[in-house]
Amino acid sequence: MSHSPATADHGDEENKFQIYIKIAMLLAVITGIEIVFIFLPFPIWLIVTVLVVLSTVKFMYVIFYFMHLRWDKPFCTILFFIGLVIAGGTTWALLLLFGAKDSMPLTAISSLANYFVG
Amino acid sequence: MEATAKSNFTGHDEHVAPKRASVFWRPTSKTGLMSWLTTVDHKRIGFLYGVFALFFFLIGGLEALLIRLQLAVPNNDLLSAQQYNELFTMHGTTMIFLAIMPLSAAFFNFMIPLQIGARDVAFPRLNTFSLWTFLAGAIIINLGWFMKVGAPDAGWFGYAPLTSSTYSPDHSIDMWVMGLQLLGIASIAASLNFIVTIINMRAPGMTMMRLPVFTWMALFTSFLLILSFPAITIALVELMMDRLFGTNFFEVSNGGMPILWQHLFWIFGHPEVYILILPAMGVISEILPTFSRKPLFGYPIVVFSGAIIGFMGFTVWSHHMFTTGMGTVATAAFALATMAIAVPTGVKIFNWIGTLWGGHLQMRTPMMFALGFIWMFMIGGFSGIMHSAAPADAQQQDSYFVVAHFHYVLIGGSLFGLLAAIHYWFPLMFGRIVSEFWGKFSFWIIFTGFNVTFFPMHFLGLNGMPRRTFTYDSNLGWNTPNFIATIGALVLGVGIAIYFITIVYTYFKGQKVGRDPWDARTLEWSIPCPPPEYNFAVIPKVHARDAFWYEKHHKEEIAKENAEQAKEDEAHGGIHMPFASIYPLVASIGMLVAGIGISALDHNKLIVSIIGGVIMVAGIFLWAHEGNEGYHMQADKEKKS
Amino acid sequence: MSSHAGPIDHHHDHTTSTGIPNKKLVMWAFLASDCMFFGCLIATHMIYRLYPPPGAPDPMDIYSIELTSFSTFILLMSSLMMALAVNAIQKNNLKSMRLSLLTTVFFGAIFLGCQVYEFQHFVHEKHLTLTNSLFGSTFYTLTGTHGTHVAIGVFWLILMYVRSFQPAAGIKDRGWFWRGLLHIASVIGVVMFSMFAVIGLTHTLQAGEGFGAFLSHDFGLLIGLAVTTALSFYLARPRGPVAFGEANAIDVESMGLYWHFVDIVWIVIFTAVYLLEYL
Repeated sequence: MSHSPATADHGDEENKFQIYIKIAMLLAVITGIEIVFIFLPFPIWLIVTVLVVLSTVKFMYVIFYFMHLRWDKPFCTILFFIGLVIAGGTTWALLLLFGAKDSMPLTAISSLANYFVG
Repeated sequence: MEATAKSNFTGHDEHVAPKRASVFWRPTSKTGLMSWLTTVDHKRIGFLYGVFALFFFLIGGLEALLIRLQLAVPNNDLLSAQQYNELFTMHGTTMIFLAIMPLSAAFFNFMIPLQIGARDVAFPRLNTFSLWTFLAGAIIINLGWFMKVGAPDAGWFGYAPLTSSTYSPDHSIDMWVMGLQLLGIASIAASLNFIVTIINMRAPGMTMMRLPVFTWMALFTSFLLILSFPAITIALVELMMDRLFGTNFFEVSNGGMPILWQHLFWIFGHPEVYILILPAMGVISEILPTFSRKPLFGYPIVVFSGAIIGFMGFTVWSHHMFTTGMGTVATAAFALATMAIAVPTGVKIFNWIGTLWGGHLQMRTPMMFALGFIWMFMIGGFSGIMHSAAPADAQQQDSYFVVAHFHYVLIGGSLFGLLAAIHYWFPLMFGRIVSEFWGKFSFWIIFTGFNVTFFPMHFLGLNGMPRRTFTYDSNLGWNTPNFIATIGALVLGVGIAIYFITIVYTYFKGQKVGRDPWDARTLEWSIPCPPPEYNFAVIPKVHARDAFWYEKHHKEEIAKENAEQAKEDEAHGGIHMPFASIYPLVASIGMLVAGIGISALDHNKLIVSIIGGVIMVAGIFLWAHEGNEGYHMQADKEKKS
Repeated sequence: MSSHAGPIDHHHDHTTSTGIPNKKLVMWAFLASDCMFFGCLIATHMIYRLYPPPGAPDPMDIYSIELTSFSTFILLMSSLMMALAVNAIQKNNLKSMRLSLLTTVFFGAIFLGCQVYEFQHFVHEKHLTLTNSLFGSTFYTLTGTHGTHVAIGVFWLILMYVRSFQPAAGIKDRGWFWRGLLHIASVIGVVMFSMFAVIGLTHTLQAGEGFGAFLSHDFGLLIGLAVTTALSFYLARPRGPVAFGEANAIDVESMGLYWHFVDIVWIVIFTAVYLLEYL
């Protein structure tokens, strides 16, 4: 992402307005799809995957377009992703730790079958 | 970088004095109490951090001596169990948050702009805010000593459910929580400032790979701070909500899990220990080259190892929880990661040895502390590796073996590094040099006392002595090592006293020095000792790593560049300096009042908190509106030294 | 007023080593930190949803997907308006920026209103409180913290809006700040009066009465609406040059980054806290 004086991307400035409106429409549509999708009779793993993917798409559009990362110096992206990756990794590790069988609270071991699953 | 060129991003013209309302009074005096309370000068802020840190270090040391006196003999009754609990809690909290961290911050503040060739940090008023908020947090944590409820007594790690309102019903823990929150805000604000300063305010030619290693370590430490503190912030918020509002985060009867506290705390707590050691490693990486008369061996690897240590610091936290029953997979994963993190640490040690190898060693006081660091930190690292084997840790956990380990890395590592830094940079900061005899004498007493205190603790731990117990029976075989450790602690205390008296004496009456007394390699030594307010008469252009070394060996080239730059600066009106300001202090005072309202009071909580909040918002609001256009000044005519 | 040679380049600050303006860099670093902050809160909530304790309230009985979807759309639209505000001020279009900022505030305030309504609905009708269950504790703390971030943002946006009326240096107009606050108050008045007027009209029509009945019941509301609308325009009329222009775009941009971040956190919360419960 090399810098360019304001005059050079004056043409882009006009388009930015259009881009923002189009992305907002896209985000609204994706949100609508998400809300409908959870009521459809698909297996849970599929719904979760689709929701995660769609949310990620929305997330990326907001940070790269609304928050301008696409046109800014790469270091801004790196800086933010450092925080995002560490936060995401920590959350993932915590969920693994607490989801593990050894961390199941006693109140959840309602039956032996439950305990030996997974 | 044109230090005096106007950024389009300030929205202000620096040549026109704006009309301002009378509420935006500008503090202008350079001396006296007001000038210290309103300063935005990174050197003064660093000095204040240092003074506060050393004060709290002495308090923490006193707390430690009382602990050791209680444990000198079995079944001692010098202290009650309650007093003992308060002492070890406050010793840990004080040493970590009020001594080592602010002492590191002192050097970050003083040295980073000087090492990168800048006039100040990116956000001078935010810097001031960090300092006063730190003090506010320190006050709140220590308020308990003066109140009937007593000081916090649940350990520096405050495990739930001991810290819940069921088991700690009085306000001592509330003040611990509130104080830590304020310290967290101060640390995060300061770290954001340092990150932007180091990335964005380097002198022309100062590429990242030409930065002094101390500045690199400061950068990594700042990243660790901004990414790890949120975890403890959330843990403390959840604990505070449980205590104040009766939520169920750690309330077992409603499904809460206290183990979550442990996880969140150590997600912060482990990066925290790297926050404590990386600055000292940075200092050592400056001292060794200077006193070996050769460049740092393997600079890129030393920097890269620092980055790896920082990153991996986030992946090992549950090694503090090996005995909590996480399950085989989790335990193994964290054990492996912990073993792995020893690798970049070891790499650094090899590079430091490589720096010494073949060098013309000058055994001055900073060098003594630096060599002591390498050896003592290594010992601490060895006991750390022993901990990383989870089965072995099952015996070591909560025993004196852990106490030995972390005191070797924290005293032998962090403290030695910082004591070295005080000696090393004393001439720069105050224009006086510490006596070699007294410096080395204090080093040997400290070194001896430290080892006599903590080496026996390895054996105490392996022989089963548990931590955090105020007495022990006389038939367990622990009597002699405890007694020896207490003697060592007293010797250590004497050594610290000699060290302190020496530096205080030197501050007032020490031998004066001119520029660059150590024939050093980095930019902070290129300016007068002590430095003028504006740091550099002319912002230097950097040509190589060890920028000052290059300057000293290319004098004509540098003189020509500086003369040209000086002419350009004149044309722009001279040196641009930021205005001092009272508002960061006002904001911090507001936070102090609000913090006391929330945590320390029985009655009138709400009204005091609201008053504090209003003061804080007013301070921030006026800070945002007072403008930051600054003023211009001329460089002093240099005295030839 | 700043004087500078040539047009402002909003993508490059030549006084910094990287070309990134300091204020932008510090905001991105802060957002990286805030990721960890919300990450831990979201993790706490999700951890406690893995094995809910016996007798735990069922979100299916409590959530209203219509309300939450509506507030999600609203926040998304506020994010769009924020981006447009930044875009406008970068092209020195002050009027457009002010309108976009005001709309952002408006949508942000609606989001907050929805949150408040949701909370009081959950507490009073669904009997989910902060303290009577684990789910209540984690849910209210997480969404409440997010809501606090939104509220801080709204506060900041209002101050930025008022700031854009600050008279240029040398112009005597000491009351501009209070006039600005009064302007905001009258805009809030416009919103409140129109809301109550619409509600009043709906009720009247539902009761089978005509428009004349509405006028006689709620004439006061319409007077209030007219007065506050006129006041808003009057207080915001141009009074001369202001000390706010393209050079301040960096401040609006930093604030925009904060606002968008609050939006992306909500994207995660909406999926992780609401949608996933429906499976």
